[in-house]
Amino acid sequence: MPRWLKDNGLSIFFGLIFLASLLGQAVSGHTSVNHDAVLHHGDPISFWHYVTSAVFWTDVMENWQSEYLQFTLYIFATVWLLQKGSNESKPLNDAGGESDEKQLLGEHTKRNSPAWAKAGGLRTTLYSNSLVLVMTSIWLLSWFAQSITGRVNYNADQLDHQAPPVSWATYITTSDFWNRTLQNWQSEFLAVGSMAILSVYLRQRGSPESKPVGSPHSATGEEG
Amino acid sequence: MRSVRVMFVLYLLMVFAGLAYAISLGFLGH
Repeated sequence: MPRWLKDNGLSIFFGLIFLASLLGQAVSGHTSVNHDAVLHHGDPISFWHYVTSAVFWTDVMENWQSEYLQFTLYIFATVWLLQKGSNESKPLNDAGGESDEKQLLGEHTKRNSPAWAKAGGLRTTLYSNSLVLVMTSIWLLSWFAQSITGRVNYNADQLDHQAPPVSWATYITTSDFWNRTLQNWQSEFLAVGSMAILSVYLRQRGSPESKPVGSPHSATGEEG
Repeated sequence: MRSVRVMFVLYLLMVFAGLAYAISLGFLGH
């Protein structure tokens, strides 16, 4: 196996199954939309038309935003909130931002620490929160994109039924927007909560997402 | 680390390209 493949197994694997699923969503979504068009005596649209349309992109964005929200919240919540016995939690006395010594900051930086970790001041503060900052930005942008594309669809539907189009500010108060949003959020929150509590009593040998198989149920915050 | 940096940049490009296109749909009148 080439070195670059071994070094990037996780990101390449998930990148590929992401692209394959997105293609599958596009193909099945296109078929579904055209099936509906035929049922309503409308004209079928081309595949290209479908994958560049707001209909397709709303479906993509509403799922993206909920995934990024899930991980953002998880990264942020696990700084302060703990779960006894869970591999997903830090040890019970470690809540909060932790000491500079533990975080390898200030006089505890290493020769090969990132430059902004060594810099101190605003740069180190920014870098100390950079993962949550970028994940939050992607969440907010994808949620905004969901509202933009959702409004285009909503207004197309309004016009089809001789109803007036709505502004963006009105669209984000509609049941359409919140139904699309919350149906995604609920599943993410359930999955994250499940992961936190199931890892107390259940194991996967070899996975860093699990405690070692022989680790006691009460052990909190160990690496697998 | 070079291939890791390439993957890091590819992921960010993929995500921000998708976001930019989706947001542009609100202004292109699709």
